[in-house]
Amino acid sequence: MSEICAAIDVGSYEISMKVVEIGGKKGVRELDHVKRRIDLGSESYASGKLGTGHITEICHILNDFRQVMKTWGVTRFRACGTSALRESSNSSVVLEQIEKRTGIRVELLSNSEQRFLDYKAVALKNEEFERIIEKPSAIVDIGGGSVQISLFDRNKLVTSQNLRMGVLRLRESINRMGIGLKKLNPMTCELIRAQLSVFSRMYLKDREFPNIIIVDDYIAPILQKKKILGEIGLLSETSEKYPRGVVSASNLIRFMDSVPTEAQGANCDRLGISYDNLTLVYISGLIIKCIAEVMKTETIWAPGVTLCDGIIYEYAEKRDVLSVRHDFEEDIIASAYHLSSRYKGNRRRSELIGELSLGIFDAMASIHGLGEREKLLLQIAAILHDCGKYISMMNLGDSSYAIIMATEIIGLSHKERQIIAGSVRGIYAAVPEYDRKEAANALLDEYARMTILKLTAILRVASGLDRSHLKKLKGAAFSLKDDKLVISTDTAADITLEKKLFSTRAEFFEEIFGIRPVIRNQRGG
Amino acid sequence: MAKKEKKTNVPDLRNPAYYENRELSWIAFDERCLHEARNEDNPLMERLKFLSITASNLDEFFMVRVASLKDMVDAEYKKRDIAGLTASEQLERVETKLHQFVDEQYATWNKMLLPLLTENGIEVIRSARELTEEDEAFVDRYFDEFIYPVLTPMAVDSSRPFPLIRNMTLNIGALVTKKDGSGETEFATVQVPGGIGRVFELPPEGDRRRLVLLEEIILRNMPKLFMNYDIVCAATYRVGRNADLSIDEDEAEDLLKEIEKQLKMRQWGRAIRLEVDRDIDGRLLSHIRGELAVEEHEIYRIDGPLDLTFLMKYYSLSGLDSLKEHRYVSKQPVPALSREEDLRDIFAKIREGDILMHHPYETFDPVVRFVEQAAADDDVLAIKQTLYRVSGNSPIIAALARAAERGKQVSVLVELKARFDEEHNIVWAKMLEQAGCHVIYGLVGLKTHCKITLVVRREEDGIRRYVHLATGNYNDSTAKLYTDIGLFTCEEDYGEDATAVFNMLSGYSEPVVWNKLCLAPLWLKTRILTLIRRETDNARAGLPARIIAKMNSLCHEDVIAALYEASCAGVKIDLIVRGICCLKAGVPGVSENITVRSIVGNFLEHSRIFCFENAGNPEYFCSSADWMPRNLERRVEIMFPVEKEQQKQKLRHILDTELADTEKAHLLQADGRYVPAMNGDGPAVNSQKIFGDEAEQAVKHRGGSDSRVFEPRTAIE
Repeated sequence: MSEICAAIDVGSYEISMKVVEIGGKKGVRELDHVKRRIDLGSESYASGKLGTGHITEICHILNDFRQVMKTWGVTRFRACGTSALRESSNSSVVLEQIEKRTGIRVELLSNSEQRFLDYKAVALKNEEFERIIEKPSAIVDIGGGSVQISLFDRNKLVTSQNLRMGVLRLRESINRMGIGLKKLNPMTCELIRAQLSVFSRMYLKDREFPNIIIVDDYIAPILQKKKILGEIGLLSETSEKYPRGVVSASNLIRFMDSVPTEAQGANCDRLGISYDNLTLVYISGLIIKCIAEVMKTETIWAPGVTLCDGIIYEYAEKRDVLSVRHDFEEDIIASAYHLSSRYKGNRRRSELIGELSLGIFDAMASIHGLGEREKLLLQIAAILHDCGKYISMMNLGDSSYAIIMATEIIGLSHKERQIIAGSVRGIYAAVPEYDRKEAANALLDEYARMTILKLTAILRVASGLDRSHLKKLKGAAFSLKDDKLVISTDTAADITLEKKLFSTRAEFFEEIFGIRPVIRNQRGG
Repeated sequence: MAKKEKKTNVPDLRNPAYYENRELSWIAFDERCLHEARNEDNPLMERLKFLSITASNLDEFFMVRVASLKDMVDAEYKKRDIAGLTASEQLERVETKLHQFVDEQYATWNKMLLPLLTENGIEVIRSARELTEEDEAFVDRYFDEFIYPVLTPMAVDSSRPFPLIRNMTLNIGALVTKKDGSGETEFATVQVPGGIGRVFELPPEGDRRRLVLLEEIILRNMPKLFMNYDIVCAATYRVGRNADLSIDEDEAEDLLKEIEKQLKMRQWGRAIRLEVDRDIDGRLLSHIRGELAVEEHEIYRIDGPLDLTFLMKYYSLSGLDSLKEHRYVSKQPVPALSREEDLRDIFAKIREGDILMHHPYETFDPVVRFVEQAAADDDVLAIKQTLYRVSGNSPIIAALARAAERGKQVSVLVELKARFDEEHNIVWAKMLEQAGCHVIYGLVGLKTHCKITLVVRREEDGIRRYVHLATGNYNDSTAKLYTDIGLFTCEEDYGEDATAVFNMLSGYSEPVVWNKLCLAPLWLKTRILTLIRRETDNARAGLPARIIAKMNSLCHEDVIAALYEASCAGVKIDLIVRGICCLKAGVPGVSENITVRSIVGNFLEHSRIFCFENAGNPEYFCSSADWMPRNLERRVEIMFPVEKEQQKQKLRHILDTELADTEKAHLLQADGRYVPAMNGDGPAVNSQKIFGDEAEQAVKHRGGSDSRVFEPRTAIE
């Protein structure tokens, strides 16, 4: 039996809801998509919080949405809030009030979680997506507050950066500066390029990205309409070959350069958009144009997906109604290696620590009770175990923690990043923190704190096994025997150092798991 | 966007000389209605009905359009209309025409219909003076018992100001003098009560039926109303005002603003039309005229009873069936829904395939049943519907209320501003709200004129949407008299669009893409222009190009200019426009490929059907919208495509039959006159009659068999 679900996105400039039928003949079938304008972003970005007026308005809209849900007999829904809510200092109060007044619990998404949902929605267009990322590609996810640019390297998403030049934020700057429609084009481009130049120097260097994928609310809907594209001269041979939403970058750039921005009425008519959308369409178009220029893009694909799609797809995936061909875990691993190499990490040691940690993790499966996801976090922590040394060899733990927390890895939630960062820091602490009063731990929940402790214990043993950095214990085997974790090796190397230094690390391991790790050299060492 | 081409010999198609003024064109329409009153082929009662219709049409025209023109003149609005006329020029021409028209109405009454009534044994007593003594006693008794108690006679003198004479009421004015001879002549007035039937039947004389009008009985009894006075003279009069109505939505926005600015200066309730008995005493008239401040050209001297709408009452007198029309068949079952078991599960029938209905020949009942079934069906989650004008005791409203009470999500868009229906609409909107319906009142500044119903139903294989789209209102009463098209479908594309329509009407953002429907005010005008221009381009490229369009009114300048351009490019264009048409047909070098015909018949032509040849692959559309500025720019309207081959043929057959009509069609001439279509040597064609006969045949053909196959009708051309 199919299920009727709804996804709600409380965004910076509009609140939208998609209602879908999941599990019917079509897998996921969209039934309804409603949107209502509400400019939360302007207030939130300017004053840092949301006032009663806006809270009441949100509640009105959500109550209206409940009526729409009733129309379809919705049985399950998920509501997510993004940057405007996230950036308002009173978000907890806002969420509480909303729940009291509408019965809808809005969940705050971190930037990387939000982008990951967008990304998933894109990746679910399996064939098209795989075809696009065959060539070096980027996802440009344009929001109200910021733009997220994620770069692909050999089919894998390896880095992702957030630029504070979302359409609303730019429009605010433009309004503040009193720029009229006539000068909109050059002035906006100037603002965008200022931000892009840093990004391009740091992350693009001279690389080219022939394909970019656009996620936005303004240009994508237009690119979806072949008829309009034909009328404004954006259709080309490329568009014919590809599915809906594909245009050539040079055509789009030419169009943005030549569009008479002041001819409002005519443009609304040509583009089939409403008046109040017009400026935002221009700005979004200019962002795409500027990015396409620095990336030397040839083809632009706007699959027309939204955050609501991401929320729904994630649920559909859980229900096994949909499956994504793309392996997001590989993205996360590739991103971690990419990050590690940026900070001159030692890849081979990372690999060894990873190998040892995962060996311990598997052997301890019946004890630690962690799952596949935590295993992935462990692997990432191993990869990033030494990234902080780029900044300070003395404060390796804290520096690593800071780097990991400051770098977004698409596919990991904020909490997961905290777990990784905390576990890496724990490797280097004299005594790992498991006091919940500790500043960094205080904000974490029980699960996160425990996971950090468990992963730290494993990582400390693993890195202790390579104390000398000579990879003497490569190929070690792990097995659980009574209350001991037996680490068997048949190395011919002298492992005295490892054995001596092992005891403090083993103590902590024992404290956490009640299991004592011991090293046994088969050669009788 | 229009391509700018070098046009050397092509005339300026926007030249006002190529456009007809819409008010004059409207009067021409009322003349065509009058033609039906004069048409000897029509039975007598039908002719009376048509005459009555011309009168009620005219009242509305005065209240809305003439009032509007006067507003424009008062506001010193300078803009010229589509035909290049200023407001005062229009007013002058319109008033001249109206005087002629009213004379024609009464000539029809006096010279044609009255004698015919007599011939048919019905005597209309024109004045109480013609009554016999017995009759006098009879009517006086009736006066004393029933009429006198509800009358409010009012005398006017220096201490009592002139009373407010209410808009469109019938009154009797009199000059009176005190019986004691003191004082001067005074004016007195009394309203002929609206609550008492205006037509009074006297006891028959043999087999002759005799009718007298209420005002004649009152006139005869005037002395009883003003006991201390002598009646010097008395006569009926009637005032039309531009009072208590909002500014007509047809007007341009800048005019509305202008009038708004001048609102304080606007003479609310100003009299703009005064009808008086032709024989009124000169002193009495000048008194009334002075008090109402009407000008000479606003006075209509009537040769007969004022306000001919009473003739509709004649129609409902019993025993006159033989004088009525019986040749027209209507209300036959819809072929796909002709058996009771079909009707019992309309959803199942719609799942079998789209159903296109042609009302009133095919009954409107399935639409009512559709809503009723949705209300009763446990699997239905939601019903959404737009309501513009509904009947007094609407079964649809009752069903919607029931559905809401059963816990379904019922959203009803109520258009409160349907002209002259406001109060009525508010009453049942409140009732729906009380039943738990979600009543929405549409979008600010835009009337919701589209007709659409959406039913969301949960079925075994998932959610399914059922949609009904139509050219006419959800009004089971008018559906018996108006010709309209309705479509039932459960195709996903239509369903998605229908959801989007209701979202838009609830204030949610427009959808990114529409699948099938095209909506005004956002897209429809552009779409129509594009469709016309495609024909133009095709004609220029030597491809087949043709447009057949049927609607109620055509007065959008952009659309007309596009049609002229198409005509110049060689597109053959046949228009069936019942009412106002600002396009001039057959003008050399401008519109010689365009024909315009108007059908005024037994049923009110109301459907809008458009056919575009599309280079040999014709596209058909139905719509709630006329090609008028108000429909295309200031209303929410829908145009929907009809894509199934059989149904396209059905629409084509309707258009072809109407184009072949020789009995009820008038053809617009290049000089602006409408002349009756002649059949020449061919057979007489009455399209409305044919449709009725065909609907009947279709049912007979189908009989009890289970065949669902339509028989494609052969075109008449």
